[in-house]
Amino acid sequence: MGMLTDKVALVTGGRGGIGRAICSRFAREGAIVYAADLTEGGSLAGPTGDSSFVKLDVTSEEDAKATMARVAQECGKLDILVNAAGIEIEKTIEETSLADWNRIFSINVTGTFLSSKYALPLLRKSGGGSIINFGSYDGFIADPGLAAYCATKGAVHALTKAMACDHGPEGIRVNAICPGYVDTPMLKNFFRDVGDIETLDAAVRNVHPLRRYGTPDDVANLVNWLASDEARYASGQLWVLDGGLTAQVQQMRL
Amino acid sequence: MANRAAIVTGGSRGIGRAIVDRFIADGIEVLTCGRGKRPADLDARIAWVQADVAKTDDAEMIVRTAQDYFGTIGILVNNAGVQLEKTVATTTDEDWELVMGVNARGTFNMCRAALKDMEETGGVIVNIGSVSGVVSDPSMAVYNASKAFVHALTRSIAVDHGPKVRCNAVRPGWIATGMVDGAFALADDPAAAKADALQRHAMRRFGKPEDIANIVAWLVSDQAAFVTGQCFTSDGGLTAASPLQPGLF
Repeated sequence: MGMLTDKVALVTGGRGGIGRAICSRFAREGAIVYAADLTEGGSLAGPTGDSSFVKLDVTSEEDAKATMARVAQECGKLDILVNAAGIEIEKTIEETSLADWNRIFSINVTGTFLSSKYALPLLRKSGGGSIINFGSYDGFIADPGLAAYCATKGAVHALTKAMACDHGPEGIRVNAICPGYVDTPMLKNFFRDVGDIETLDAAVRNVHPLRRYGTPDDVANLVNWLASDEARYASGQLWVLDGGLTAQVQQMRL
Repeated sequence: MANRAAIVTGGSRGIGRAIVDRFIADGIEVLTCGRGKRPADLDARIAWVQADVAKTDDAEMIVRTAQDYFGTIGILVNNAGVQLEKTVATTTDEDWELVMGVNARGTFNMCRAALKDMEETGGVIVNIGSVSGVVSDPSMAVYNASKAFVHALTRSIAVDHGPKVRCNAVRPGWIATGMVDGAFALADDPAAAKADALQRHAMRRFGKPEDIANIVAWLVSDQAAFVTGQCFTSDGGLTAASPLQPGLF
């Protein structure tokens, strides 16, 4: 008996690095899984688990409505929404154009808003439900040259608490997970300027108290728990998952 | 400000010395204390008492002595602190007694002794915490925990003893004292280590004791009349950045 047996789940960014791991885990736990993404192949090749692809541009209100209409027709309810779609822009605010700014906010923040807004009627039909947003440790402290990204994640954190307050009385739980360094295409891109992840591997690991960086499966472990009934009293919280990275002061090289 | 007399613990050197010098410059009467004898270079206008804040009797004696000098005491700055570079596994009972005795019980003792009158006459308390009480410095386990105690005690005093008493904490980052140069001297390449450390500060410098004295002076002034129960970080941007800086590998 899986932890999510008979639950219906939808994962945005479901064909990205972390999204695929979440979909696979949900399917193994017995859920009916929709992997929502721009394209069936997504941003990354890899196993999808037993999930149904649904085309979703998270910035599009029409797409959000159509996606939830399909879930309504096929399942009549939604138990779990994971807002995992997101992008990163590696720029300071001076280098960031208004178009850059609007694009990252439209995906990371507006996307979370739209998917959640149109999922709410279906979540109510499940008699409760769990929304899991993607924040980041960058919503608390900054990485250099990631200004707009940091700002979107701070916005997601505040939205998470607001949604938890507004919809808690209906039994809908809302949490955000705030990953640190997770081995994904986005992370590799972040290292592009200073080298590739393989050569930086030891240095990155050594800054972490657990001496490694995260994997998509580490993230899926926490998302799965928050999605399950085991987490039935957990709501409105920001769950940092970073191998201990941000428990530390910056580690000067003495 | 109604009352212009202050007690600053640990004023013999470093941050404490900068605070007492600043108070004197601002026209505040100051008594400071330390476990040793009065430093020869301490400003003659500053009163000194040799005492250990970890001891309840000493804390009460410090407050009584200051009242004998100045009458009503309106300001208390708990700056006295000791540092211990050990993990939990290697910390002895004696280590615990020293660090928690001065940093935690000492702060508590001084607040309790001063509050007896401050509850009636009003007053301002500033405790010196640390960024290490929020995010950890490695191998400083009990020190880090003692500073978190200071932060939580600060909030409780503000909640329990307002409106007469305001209480806030300052969380310094790396403040350049003799200890910092000593740490770099131990590095394989002291110059490279120092350059690396500076790159981790958005302000590209370490803190100065005067930086902390500036914020303490503001917190005890009437400019901060609505400020209570908070902990303020002054660290040149150190803890606003991620611990992982790929550009520094």
